[in-house]
Order: sequence, then structure tokens, then C-alpha cells
Amino acid sequence: MTATVSIEALNAPAPRRPRAGLSRWTWLLLGVIAAILLIWEAAVSWLHLVPEAFLPPPTAVFAAFLQLLVDPEFWQAFAFSMQNLLIGLVLAVVVGVTVGLAVGWSPVLRFTVAPFLWLLYSTPKVALAPLFILVLGLGNESKIALVFLLAVFPIILNTMEGAVTVHASLVSAGRVYGVNGVALGWKVILPATLPYSLAGIQRGAALGFTGEVLGEFLGGTGGLGHMLEFAAYQFQMDEAIAMVIVMVIIANLTLALIAVLRKRLAPWYDDRQIMGRT
Amino acid sequence: MTTTAADSGPAEPAASAPLISVRNLTVSYHVARTGATLTAVEGVDLEVHEGEFVTVLGPSGCGKTTVMNVIAGLVKPTSGEVLVDGRPVTGPGPDRAVVFQDYALLPWRTVFDNVKFGLEMQKHLKGDGWRDRVQEAIELVGLRGFESSYPKELSGGMQQRVGLARAIVAEPRILLMDEPLGAVDALTREVMRDEIEKLIAATGKTVLFITHSIEEAILLGDRIVVFKSHPGAIKEVIETGLARPRSERSVQSDPRFLELRDHLWDALQAEATQAAVAGGS
Ligand SMILES: Nc1ncnc2c1ncn2[C@@H]1O[C@H](COP(=O)(O)OP(=O)(O)OP(=O)(O)O)[C@@H](O)[C@H]1O
Ligand SMILES: [Mg+2]
Repeated sequence: MTATVSIEALNAPAPRRPRAGLSRWTWLLLGVIAAILLIWEAAVSWLHLVPEAFLPPPTAVFAAFLQLLVDPEFWQAFAFSMQNLLIGLVLAVVVGVTVGLAVGWSPVLRFTVAPFLWLLYSTPKVALAPLFILVLGLGNESKIALVFLLAVFPIILNTMEGAVTVHASLVSAGRVYGVNGVALGWKVILPATLPYSLAGIQRGAALGFTGEVLGEFLGGTGGLGHMLEFAAYQFQMDEAIAMVIVMVIIANLTLALIAVLRKRLAPWYDDRQIMGRT
Repeated sequence: MTTTAADSGPAEPAASAPLISVRNLTVSYHVARTGATLTAVEGVDLEVHEGEFVTVLGPSGCGKTTVMNVIAGLVKPTSGEVLVDGRPVTGPGPDRAVVFQDYALLPWRTVFDNVKFGLEMQKHLKGDGWRDRVQEAIELVGLRGFESSYPKELSGGMQQRVGLARAIVAEPRILLMDEPLGAVDALTREVMRDEIEKLIAATGKTVLFITHSIEEAILLGDRIVVFKSHPGAIKEVIETGLARPRSERSVQSDPRFLELRDHLWDALQAEATQAAVAGGS
């Protein structure tokens, strides 16, 4: 086995890319945020350029934010929104991945159904929100339906693209080694599509959250959107702005969570390959 | 395999019948985008006997991969037929393994699991014995220590060797290799070539081996099939007639080697020139 040894000597390990530069940009970002907050505070509290009733200073917003965190009503609204978001997203993932795989994999469906999917994707579904509330009522159902409607299309279309781009030779390799039918879907098509689906889910989650808040805004009996609307109605601008910040945090945490999931479930996938597509 | 003569009728081949026989094979592809039909190969006849090592040379795009895919059961003939062990090929089977030109590794699997893929559907592999076979195949292609690497962490040549390990781990009767050393550097290539030759000699496998290297075709082949293009077809088949084992050094000074090399060089040169003229007009 001298031959084997000599080959091993030739195997140079693949170089790792350095991860430099990240912290520098983070610091810069933090600096910019601090500057904006400072200017805001100065403009309202010290120079009185804007009446506090319209735009409360950051300190007031921060106080309102802390108050929210100990307010049971807030946590109730939070649970309401998150529950609807979760149910809507799970439905969207199940339907989106199934439909996406089927349409991507079947040429017949691709030529007949896919054009309609693109059409629906580009339709401003937000415009349908009042209709949903009219038909499904003020409760959870209309919100779940909105989350689903907004989230499902990016998931379908990304999964579809993933399934279409599964390399033909991977399918050939599967067939050569006896992997057919369901096993082919399970062992080749699904894993090859997974990174695309996850990118779609990430996008769908962001849109779904918008759908949830919008639904609550337009006609709701609970949830963060409803609470925000109520605060704004009562002219409690500090609480309203704090609510908006809470929503930004929730949206970003959701995205970060799915990003972690992508790293976990698809460690082989190079993020840079997919960035331009979504 | 040979004991089933009674139920397969009078067409059962004798011991000397070819293991692979390609008869008047024509393959046309339908190009959906343009609606046109492209004839990749036309009227190909080829017989490969058990234990034979056949190398295939030819200009790019002349249909070498196409013919191999028909034998593998991945592409259906437009006309003509391919028999393996006397039976028409209707699809892939465990008697044939393929080393793909573009590796076709599963990016979500480690080297070990990719090689294991070659065995995965063989239901008789119960116990833990398959682990040793996978490990053996990995070591044979010189990838020990890379078992848990993902394909994207490997060089092209290393990925190609994973594809080779995946094919040999299944211990098929027939190995179909599409430029398996194409992306390997010269030094590794030489080592791998020796390993392949030893492996084949030891196991008596039947091999169809596509290559772009004239030297490789001569060094490895019992016979060399030369393809031509426009349309893709077999131009000639040459017996190498060189004694085995062939070490690279000793063979290169053999007058027969030099004669073959010059002949093949001229044949391919003529093909390439013709292809360039045809492509330009
Ligand atoms: N799936 C396909 N659809 C349409 N045309 C194809 C397909 N596969 C191959 N062809 C065409 O058939 C011809 C032969 O292709 P093939 O891949 O068999 O060539 P090759 O001899 O293996 O070439 P190379 O040495 O470059 O690998 C080419 O003209 C190619 O464009
Ligand atoms: Mg080829």
C-alpha cells in the first residue's frame, strides 16, 4: 500500500476562508445607531424642535418599552400573535414544500401550474386582507389565513426552483445505485432542495409576520398589531414606537432562528450560492 | 447467473458470448428548447467480453457518454439495442456501476456516506460488514482521513476519487468509467491508474473506460475504441496487444506502444481538424 501513502501526501487540506472584518462593521453600525439616538434625543428633549406628543424622545420610548415587558396584557398580545404566526407558517411550510416539490419535479405541472403561481406571487395579496377579515371574521382564522397566504408563495417558488435545479446527474447517480421512487425523493430530491426551501421559509416568515400584524391592524380582537393600533389611537406615541421596536426585534429574531436552522440542516450548503436568488 | 439457462430460452448465450453487446445503436436527443432532434450517435456496434478492459477515445461531443449511459440503463436507445449478459437493458442494475464525468456526488453527504450510497440499496447488507467495505474502498482511492469531509471541501480530483470508490464498493460486474481521472493531477493520475489496473486484474471486472488521454487508453486497454463525430460513431477498434502487467516506464519504450500512440494521435488529429472545419462552416 505504498501507493496509498503517496496519494495521501498529495492531499492538501482545503484552505478555510478567514472571517475577518465582521466586528469592525458591527462597531460602525452601533456607532451610527448611537448617533441617531443622540440626535433624536437632542432634537426633542433639549431643542424642542418637535412636540413630545408627536415624537417622544428615545428615553421615553425606552421607558415605555420596559413597561411593556412587565405588562401582562402585552404578553397576552404577544402569545396571540405568535400562535397565529406559528400555525400559519407551519401550514405554509407543509403546503409550500409539497406543492413546490410536485410542481418542480413534474414537467406537466411546471408548464400548467407554475405560471399561475408566479402570477399569484406577484399579486399584492395585502389588498385581499380586508376581504379575509370580512369572510373569516375578526378572530384568529383571518390572521392565520393571511400569514399563510403571504408566506406560502415564496416557499412554493423557492422549493420549485430548488427541485428544478437538482442536478440531473444526481438523479442518474441515484438510479444507477438503485435509488428509485420514494427513496429517490427522500434521499436525493428533498435534501438537494432543502437549502432552497429554507431560504423560502425565511422569506415567508418575514412576510407572514407582516400579514399577522396587518390582519390585527385592520380588524382584530388581540395581538401586537391590535395593541399598536390602540396605542396610536390613544395618542400614546411612546408606547406605539416601543411596539414597533418590539416587532422589529421579533421579525429579526425569527429570521435569525431560521438562519441557524439553515446552518444546522444544510451545513454543506454555501450561503453565497443562494443569496442572489431569493 | 449462468445457471438460469432453462428458463431464459434458447437465446441463452454460450460462455464465449460477449457480456456487453451494443447492436446498431442510434441515440437522438430531442432538444425541447429548439424543438430540434440531435443525433448523438448512429449505428454503433460494440462487443465487450467478460474481464475485458476497453478504453474509449474520441473528440468532445462525439457521444461517448451517451453510449455509456445507454449501457448503464440511464438513456433509452432511439433504435438498436444493448444487451448485458444476453438480456436487453431496461434500466440500471446492480451489475453495473458508473463513475460519472461530473462526479455526481451528493453534496449533503460526507465522503464516507457518499461511498456508502453505492451499497445503500443492497438489502442483503444487514450486519456491520458494509462499514469495512466502505472504508476499504475509501483507502483504495487514497482518501483515508477524509471520511467526514463534505465534497465541497475536496479538490476536483479528490471528488472524482470519491465517485470511483462509490462505484467499486458495490462490487459490480461491469464498471463504466467516464473520464474517472480527468480532474486528477498527473502524479496522482499515475498512481490511480496503477491502482485501477491492479484492482481490475485482481477482481476480473469488465471495464468500459472513457478517457481523453491517448497514453491512458493504451496503458489500460485491452482494446481501444476510437469514436468520430458528425455523426457520432465508432471510427475504429484497436487491440493493444501489450503484455500485462504494464508499468508506465517499461511500456513507454515498447515499440508497439509508440506505434499505437502515433496511430491514435493521427486518427484523433484528423477528427479534431474535421470537427473544427465542420463547426466553422
Ligand atoms: N441530455 C441531452 N440533451 C440533448 N443533447 C444532448 C444530451 N446529452 C448529450 N447531448 C448531445 O449529444 C452529443 C454527444 O454528447 P456526449 O455527452 O455523449 O459526448 P461525449 O463524447 O461524452 O463528450 P465529452 O468528451 O465532451 O464528454 C453532444 O452533441 C451533446 O450536445
Ligand atoms: Mg462525456
